[in-house]
Amino acid sequence: MTPRDILAAAVNGTPAPRIPVFCSLLDQGPRELGMSFREYFANGEHVAAGQLKLRARYGYDNVWSLFYVGKEAELLGCNEILFADDGPPNVGDFVIKSYDDIAKLEVPDDITAHPAWQETARCLNILRDEVGKTHSICAYLTASTTLPSILMGMDKWLELLLIGPADVRDELLRKCSDFYQKEVAAYRAAGANVLVYSTPFGSTSFVGMKRFQSLIMPWMQRDLAPGGIRDIVYYCGMAPFNSVIAQVMDELKINVHYISPLADLAEAKGIIGSQGLTCGVIDDIKMIHWTTEQTRDEVRRLCDIGKVGQHFLFGTGVVPLSVPAANIQAMLDAAFEFGSYS
Amino acid sequence: MLERIVKAYNEAVFETDKEAAFEVVEAALAGGLTAEDIVFKVVIPAVEEMMSNITKDPDANLAQHFMTAQIAAEVTEKMLLSFKQPPEIIGKVVMGTAHGDLHSLGKRIVMGCLKALMVDVVDLGVNVPAERFVDVAQAENAQVIAISAMMVHTATGENGASKVRRILHERGLEDRIKLVVGGAPYRFDDGLYQTVGADAWAADGVNAGRIIVDLIRGIKKS
Repeated sequence: MTPRDILAAAVNGTPAPRIPVFCSLLDQGPRELGMSFREYFANGEHVAAGQLKLRARYGYDNVWSLFYVGKEAELLGCNEILFADDGPPNVGDFVIKSYDDIAKLEVPDDITAHPAWQETARCLNILRDEVGKTHSICAYLTASTTLPSILMGMDKWLELLLIGPADVRDELLRKCSDFYQKEVAAYRAAGANVLVYSTPFGSTSFVGMKRFQSLIMPWMQRDLAPGGIRDIVYYCGMAPFNSVIAQVMDELKINVHYISPLADLAEAKGIIGSQGLTCGVIDDIKMIHWTTEQTRDEVRRLCDIGKVGQHFLFGTGVVPLSVPAANIQAMLDAAFEFGSYS
Repeated sequence: MLERIVKAYNEAVFETDKEAAFEVVEAALAGGLTAEDIVFKVVIPAVEEMMSNITKDPDANLAQHFMTAQIAAEVTEKMLLSFKQPPEIIGKVVMGTAHGDLHSLGKRIVMGCLKALMVDVVDLGVNVPAERFVDVAQAENAQVIAISAMMVHTATGENGASKVRRILHERGLEDRIKLVVGGAPYRFDDGLYQTVGADAWAADGVNAGRIIVDLIRGIKKS
């Protein structure tokens, strides 16, 4: 079976030799190719080459088309990205500095014609040609209720969301939702087949249940309505969201959930059961200082909880650059060993 | 009457309802409470109550942290204008985000709470070099440097809190200035603050207020 077949088996609960094993090594690419972050992320061929080399080295089941989270802000007019030598690039200048800028914010008619898309498209072409038939190609798409945080800053967004003028808030959300709809269509057309719907505000760690139901859920429904939920993964940016899984399954029909390392994995698996896929995620920040034995023990613990009854995937967050390669190797060795059904 | 006011105010803050919180304050003033009463008997106990709730309640959320700080800061600012005498300031903290980090939300929540807790805050903004934290803390006679970092490399990198610790050591300031850190990476590894040489960390912006006040009191006692 190919890794894509194994993923499909895990979702459907059909026999497979092992669980799917996903790994997000985004910041390791520049080092792999001996480049600076700036040089590496300037070219889609570099990002594709980095992803393919890392996947070949460690043997996990997926590659990423994501450069860095600020890419979406670039598609909406951000011209300044802050690069570092030891971590991911960051949005350096917010597109929205005042509420007046919300009216001026333009969602491109055709995202694929935007200059900021071209390197992503180049990366996706290579990934699709090289491994598209056998491996998952992941894309990262930010929900309308979260995207404003990289357009205006998290504190300004929270202020607008909670106590700002509702008409201004809704205008921004409408534009962000329109953007999401176009972006997901572009990624699907370009060959991405695992679509990570990043929706931290879709967690009650960010807003209370009342606001989740009255404000966040309707916008998520709007985001997802035209394109549907095929290949969509519900992901709250590592925030726990067990309290809303049942509603998300019921109202959005999303059955693949990327569970926070801070959440109770057994509880999540109990809710999702055989209706979809529970993704057990390791706390890769702790892996910075763990020993290989500690890493292995944690993978074993997660697999022991999750793999019973199938419908389980092992995954990571965005593995920090400072995690030792030995721990990445130990994690993946353990995931294949303890995730085996044979 | 005070008990009823405190309860109504706390409920409004818990529900992140700023308008309702201000209505409670206005009604309390009309009922005879002074501006000093509002700050010391309503707002500060409410911040303390929220600190306790957040620690106990796994479902406490970011919106509550944000609004607790926002409402407390706004009410306090308004009430201070009517104080008969300027309030006694507990101490001073120099605050900013780590070098390379532009995430200002955590800092804003902490600042809002500290304002209500009568702590002077020198806000250095975002993307602050390590030397600047120490230079300003020295110049301002601050008791605490507080650094917020939302990304692993800005929380643990060579130019963030670790460098501030090194400079404090080199200048012989470690007994006079304490270092506290906060931000997402520290939540995922509660031993991380020690790795970067901080004296303390806070799991959320509201509790950071309490931790900073404790550090200031410790410095002042010694």
